Amino acid sequence: MRRRHSLTLAVFLVAGGLATGGVSPTEAADPYRIGMGAAITGRFSGGYAPTYEAYKAYFKRINDAGGINGHPVEITYEDDRGEPQRAAAAAKKLAESSILMINASISATYKPYMTEAETEKIPLMFGGGVCPREAFPPASPLIFCSTSFGSKWDSRFALSFIKEQAGGKKVKIGFAAQDIPLSRIELEFAEQLAKEMGFEAIPVVVVPGAAADFTPFAQKLKDAGADWVFSWAPWGVEIGVFEALQRIGWQGNYLLYGHQQTEDELARLKAPNLYAFGGNALFTEALPIHAEITRIVKGQTTHPPHYMAEGWVSAMVLEAALKQCGWPCTREKIAAALATVTLDTKGLRGGPIEWTADNHYRKTTYYKVYRWDPAKNAIASVGGWTKLDIK
Amino acid sequence: MTQVLATTLVVASLYALLGAGYVLVYRASRVLNLAQGDLLTLGGYLLFAVTATVGAVPAVAVPLAVALSALTGFVIYQVLIRPMAGHPVFAAVLVTVTLGILLRAGIVLVFADRIRHPLPMLGWSNPPVALPGGSVLSAFDLATLGTAVVVFGALFAFLRFSPVGIQMRAAGERALLASQRGINFQFVFALAWALAALCGGLAGMLYACNVRLEPSLDVLGLKAFAVALVGGLDSLAGVIPAALIVAGIEVLSVRYGDPLLSDVSPFLCLLAMLLIRPWGLLGTREELDRV
Repeated sequence: MRRRHSLTLAVFLVAGGLATGGVSPTEAADPYRIGMGAAITGRFSGGYAPTYEAYKAYFKRINDAGGINGHPVEITYEDDRGEPQRAAAAAKKLAESSILMINASISATYKPYMTEAETEKIPLMFGGGVCPREAFPPASPLIFCSTSFGSKWDSRFALSFIKEQAGGKKVKIGFAAQDIPLSRIELEFAEQLAKEMGFEAIPVVVVPGAAADFTPFAQKLKDAGADWVFSWAPWGVEIGVFEALQRIGWQGNYLLYGHQQTEDELARLKAPNLYAFGGNALFTEALPIHAEITRIVKGQTTHPPHYMAEGWVSAMVLEAALKQCGWPCTREKIAAALATVTLDTKGLRGGPIEWTADNHYRKTTYYKVYRWDPAKNAIASVGGWTKLDIK
Repeated sequence: MTQVLATTLVVASLYALLGAGYVLVYRASRVLNLAQGDLLTLGGYLLFAVTATVGAVPAVAVPLAVALSALTGFVIYQVLIRPMAGHPVFAAVLVTVTLGILLRAGIVLVFADRIRHPLPMLGWSNPPVALPGGSVLSAFDLATLGTAVVVFGALFAFLRFSPVGIQMRAAGERALLASQRGINFQFVFALAWALAALCGGLAGMLYACNVRLEPSLDVLGLKAFAVALVGGLDSLAGVIPAALIVAGIEVLSVRYGDPLLSDVSPFLCLLAMLLIRPWGLLGTREELDRV
């Protein structure tokens, strides 16, 4: 009986210790409450779950080190599975208790989050999915976007790059889009722009994401005589069409937007005619920040460290904004802080992210192109960073 | 045109392998296995997992993954479907829907939601192969085609000539009578599930080697479901022309029409078939009543 009492006492002591003395000052302080809606699971999670994981790892480290301005950052995560109905419920829930919402999901979920942001006057930052037009100048006061890719600007860069590579030779260009609005609209814009830039443009080939075989789509591009193909779509379609073109013996060049998978896939395919452009530096550049991310996320993610870049930059932006916001931080104050953010991306991007009152995308965007270099037997960049001013 | 034909044969082969799974299970146990697409995904991941475990030894990894696929089907029947005996058929169908959801979630949990490529792990490549007439297919396109031919040949021979195959047909037609004649129909049903999972698994392994492996491949199962219905749910032979028709229309719509039609063309075929001949190309009227 005495032994049982001793055991009970010990349990109470341990529990009491945990409840009082075991708590760090940061944990005791009121937190910054942030809400994130992301496609953590579901059909589209491949491109967005890494952002969620990056946020978790990033703010675990921040909180372990004492938080921001002496307050921990408490992020509520809602899995919207990339489904608009779930997104609507998630947005409502997140808006109730947060000072800022973050979206890392497919574009089909944007509307509910943006409606909620507008109704509840809560700022909304996109970090992982494509930037909506409301983030570009003249920006909506509540909409921000840290994602590396953005419509129209990506196509402008891509076509300029192809023109430069062609070296004055007439180019016949094809486009491979996925059957989602953003991809189609972007590549229809690119097709129009290509004509204005003097390319011979083949009409956009729209590929269903659930296609059993990409060969018929690739065949259409090959038969049309494309020298170059430009794809701006989710990774499965981008790379699927390229591989199908390869399988049917196409000899042209292919430029795609480099999502998180780029590094693995360039190394797997070892195809010198496959070019990937993007706003994030590949981890093959082995910058100190890459080593830091690799070290921090070790054991905390189901994805390789180089999948974290997009989410990491977004988390850096949030940290900078919260520091600037001070305490207490309200919705109005964080929106004001975000609108003046200037972030040194430490090499993850080609330059800083600078937001202004009417530009919540960035004042300047940077692109770099990579491909497999057979001579080096490694991934190599094709030139340095290219800078585009966003107006 | 030869390229269109070649591509059609490849897509049809994939659909036929998957469609065979639907028919085998339905014929034997009258259950619509709506997890067939997930068995395809599972097959691909089994190959990936086995290769990662035993290393790049295709002679070991491939047969082991195929065997595990078949075993999965056997276990699914014994654990999930067999206890449903005596309940309405739709209850078993709902079990397969739940099974599909669980398989998808389990795959994401174990393998994460990344695109995988088992081919380099096996030390294989997938070079283009030029065919007569100027068309080009990949090595795994040809492997898919060859596998479908071999599997269908083997299935027809098995059902026609082997004692177990004949028992399977008998149990499918009159389970009660078959059991009174001493046929272990539970074993026969389990075998049908194993064969269905094997067909789906093979399709998944080939697709994973040829294109990619990701948790969302189950959508291919939906298209193949249309193939099975177009061919006639109780007709294995019906799967072949149905797969050719569905794949042909899909490929032609990409080549000469609106590529977006390709996504819905299997279901347009199904709709047309339901209007013209609801029991399918080679199915029987009686089976329609049972459905």
